[in-house]
Amino acid sequence: MLVFVILAALVALPKLVTNPYALHLMILLFLAVAMGEAWNIVGGYCGQYSVGHAAYFGVGAYATLMLLQYRQVAPWWGVWGAIAAALMISVVIGSICFRLRGPYFVLASIAVAEIIRLVVLNWKQFTNGAEGILLVDIPPLKLGQTLITDWLSKTPFYYLGLALALSTLLVNYLVLHSKLGYYFQAIREDQDAAHSLGINLTFYKNAALAISALFTALSGVFYGLYIGFIDPPGVLGLDTSVQMVLICIIGGIGTILGPVVGALVLVPLSEVLRANLLSKALFVLGLVKETSRLGNFLKENLAHAHVLIYGILVVVVILYMPDGVLGFLRKLLARNVRPLAPSSRPVVGDLDGPA
Amino acid sequence: MRSHAELARQADLLNRSFVGVLTALKWLFGMSALAVAVPVVAYAQNVKIGVINSVTGPEAPIGENLTNGIKLAEEDLSKSGIKLELIWEDDTGKPQIAMSAMEKLATRDGVAGVVGPYTSASANAVAKLAQRYQVPLLVPAAAKEEITRQGYQWVFRLNAPANVYAQVLFDAVTELGKPKTIAFVYENTDFGTSTADAGKKYAEKKGIKIVADEPYSKGSPDYRSTLTKIKALNPELVFMVSYVVDAILLMRQAREIGLKPQAFLGGGAGFTTTQFASDKAISNLVFTSTQWSDDVSWPGAAEFAKRYNAKFGKEPTYHAACAYASMMIMADTAAKQHGDRAKIRGALASGSWKGIMGDVKFENYDGYTNQNKHPMLVLQIQNGNYVSVYPAQFAVKKAIFPFSGW
Amino acid sequence: MRVLLQSAASGILIGGVYALVGIGLTIIFGVMRVINFAHGELLMIGMYLTWLIFSSLGIDPFVSIVITIPLMFVFGAIVQRTLIHRVLNALPQNQILLTIGLGLVLSNLVMLIFTSDYKIITTRYSSSTIHLAGLPLSTPLAISFLVTSVITALLYLFLLKTDTGQAIRATAQDRDAAQLMGINVSWMSVLAFGIGTALAGTAGALVSPTYYIFPQVGSAFTLKAFVIVVLGGMGSVLGATLGGVIIGVTESLAAVYISSGMKEVFVYVLFLLVLLFKPSGLLGRSRM
Repeated sequence: MLVFVILAALVALPKLVTNPYALHLMILLFLAVAMGEAWNIVGGYCGQYSVGHAAYFGVGAYATLMLLQYRQVAPWWGVWGAIAAALMISVVIGSICFRLRGPYFVLASIAVAEIIRLVVLNWKQFTNGAEGILLVDIPPLKLGQTLITDWLSKTPFYYLGLALALSTLLVNYLVLHSKLGYYFQAIREDQDAAHSLGINLTFYKNAALAISALFTALSGVFYGLYIGFIDPPGVLGLDTSVQMVLICIIGGIGTILGPVVGALVLVPLSEVLRANLLSKALFVLGLVKETSRLGNFLKENLAHAHVLIYGILVVVVILYMPDGVLGFLRKLLARNVRPLAPSSRPVVGDLDGPA
Repeated sequence: MRSHAELARQADLLNRSFVGVLTALKWLFGMSALAVAVPVVAYAQNVKIGVINSVTGPEAPIGENLTNGIKLAEEDLSKSGIKLELIWEDDTGKPQIAMSAMEKLATRDGVAGVVGPYTSASANAVAKLAQRYQVPLLVPAAAKEEITRQGYQWVFRLNAPANVYAQVLFDAVTELGKPKTIAFVYENTDFGTSTADAGKKYAEKKGIKIVADEPYSKGSPDYRSTLTKIKALNPELVFMVSYVVDAILLMRQAREIGLKPQAFLGGGAGFTTTQFASDKAISNLVFTSTQWSDDVSWPGAAEFAKRYNAKFGKEPTYHAACAYASMMIMADTAAKQHGDRAKIRGALASGSWKGIMGDVKFENYDGYTNQNKHPMLVLQIQNGNYVSVYPAQFAVKKAIFPFSGW
Repeated sequence: MRVLLQSAASGILIGGVYALVGIGLTIIFGVMRVINFAHGELLMIGMYLTWLIFSSLGIDPFVSIVITIPLMFVFGAIVQRTLIHRVLNALPQNQILLTIGLGLVLSNLVMLIFTSDYKIITTRYSSSTIHLAGLPLSTPLAISFLVTSVITALLYLFLLKTDTGQAIRATAQDRDAAQLMGINVSWMSVLAFGIGTALAGTAGALVSPTYYIFPQVGSAFTLKAFVIVVLGGMGSVLGATLGGVIIGVTESLAAVYISSGMKEVFVYVLFLLVLLFKPSGLLGRSRM
């Protein structure tokens, strides 16, 4: 089917495209997909909107990188440390936060993430504090005597990223089509009703969080290894948490492909804006003369304005596309093809929010 | 159990979603293709240099100095026949973004060399990439010592590293008096921590007792409690490392609390801006170490300051001078070597220059690689103006010590 | 002992500012259940407004409050009507994201217009101190504390004694019941957001003589404002006042006796404890 074509194309890409920048964009894309999909499990399916997911991301990154940098533990073993740490933390955070609902849960999740960030920031002997950890080198990966990769080019990261993104997609699919997913969504739709039907809220909410935390931590590990530098604001900050939520929301939460769409929108957009490619495109297309006043203004300011446009985009999506871009595209396609019978799955954006 | 119709509907939706995704992917590939297809290398006529700077973000006010310094360099270079094609990248003060920018400059834009970044954190992160991609990198103003202590052949630094910031301040102060105790207040970033660490080492060497060690998170507006704590310990010296905002706030609140040491030592950055100096109530008699000042005897220094002031309406900080000199050196070398990265590296390693930053030569010594042995100055703010007071060969006026109080 | 008193005193003064920010937020939160992540940015706009008035008209920041308050109120009302209103019934997550987006838009617009240069308001008394019981206190902070108290008192009177004020409280207590009682709840929302914005802006104005003005200054205040609101009790003005002072003092003491880098940790831990054990806060109604 179509899936295999896309998969084949993705797998073959590094052979055809060798420009490191293009590969870099794809890797960022995979990372964004993984982060969004991981958040989707607890936020989209289970309806628990944690805006403190950076806690798992950062803990994953720090655990593995600290083991690598200070104890020379190769990352393929170190990643287990990250997973263990993330799971432990998710249990603790879950036990604190899941007693709360709605906006209170959100605030608590943010507070917890901030506490972790501040602790990591101040625990200098352990984590090198504000200076962060700048990776020296990743040891080459060998199977027996054959060298698989020495991590010096982008290609191994590309495949690793692809694998990560695909596995999060797979997990999303499995969860959605399992009993677990059923319970999650029941909790999302109406927590009390679910409880009265005998669903163990604590267990399932924590299960959702644990799965989500695990994959978020893996994304953190991948980020740390790929970028080679982590510091508390970079991996434990509110910005990171918000970005994860954004990827999911803009794409369309509670769906498998939503975060993919979200990633496809956000990653190229932020690179294009930041690197001034948009202004260049306008000049090349002849829409704006480079030397005109408008052209100069754009050249000088559009790069700074990437965050502004980000913000505007968020506002627009929230106001006019509550199902995210995916939902919007679906409605558009639906109208153009044939009228759909009402879906059996309730559309998330239509319900009144919990009060 | 799902009905056949439902399954069909689901499959249909799935298919349609895939179409959507495929379209998006095509768009993305198209973008990448565009990125690859756009002609990337054109060494022949223009000299293509990348600049990574903090244009937005908390360090932006100082970043502006670097931008303007480079713009002046651009003017001067074009006068001597070198047409500069600059690719500006904003790292917003974040190392990850600086790294991303460096990747782009090195692999997509095919620059001959890179000048920047500004902050220590970004510079350190980018140095690694410069070495990996083999692109000559000239760091103009970042203090963290490690940047040129990693044996990277492709990384050069113009300014003196953090230990000199501290060293020159201590040398100046111990010449003026015999302080016995010191308190450190610094922001807990790369820059603050590395400069403070250098300061602590030096204090110990000089036999000055460290009575307080207070890192703070930058951006939080209230330091009164920290300063109160320090006041109670009665230190004879207070050593601060901050960027712009916090420097002014710290001093204001120090005044409020009535903190009165024998001297305030400001480790660079925030304490070297005219904004800080002009607030006479709080800046008077603060010592600060700097890479450059407009009254120093290096060729062209005073004219540079005048020109900067005339064009941009404000006084330049040392960052402007550092950036100017760095760009002049990089562009000149790149032009002479016709944009060949390896040759540029070689020329930088073996060359020497003289300009508004004095004598510049990148040397290997004491564990440093390609580090310019730049002498730093100690300035004191007297009545709203920066005055060079140390070392003797650059001193313009005598330092006023001890601090006469608020 | 001096250190304790000094730091407690500065904590109380700072707490006054926090309180004002918190009161604004509690009114918004209480009436609309909207998590306004842009609250810090509203404060920032108040600061810039004050700076503009000061640098172009030369009016003292404490005096220009009379101009700032109505302007911020109108601004808040407009924001409510055009943006917030549309997500009142949406998921909290959407509301949060909308306000986060709004915050980003505001701070970056300001950055484009005013550049990210730090702005100073330097008045005659910016660095001066008054002495109370032998403790030096920052003059501008002391004045802002006084003004805050006056405004809080006036607000409290407004909410308790006037019809509109009581209508707002009713809406905060139970939106549907209030509507059934004939209260125009959407107008109440507009009022609430307007008042909240005005208060945030005022806090910004009051604080501008002592802090620095730059586009990102708001983020330091936003989360803290939420802590204050929850601590004091959602919907309770007096609670927010108390909460502000408590947080100010906690932060101050933690900075002195533990470490300034960790002072926020104490605030957040306190926050979590309150959420877990007394979610209604000190003075609020019980609502999870």
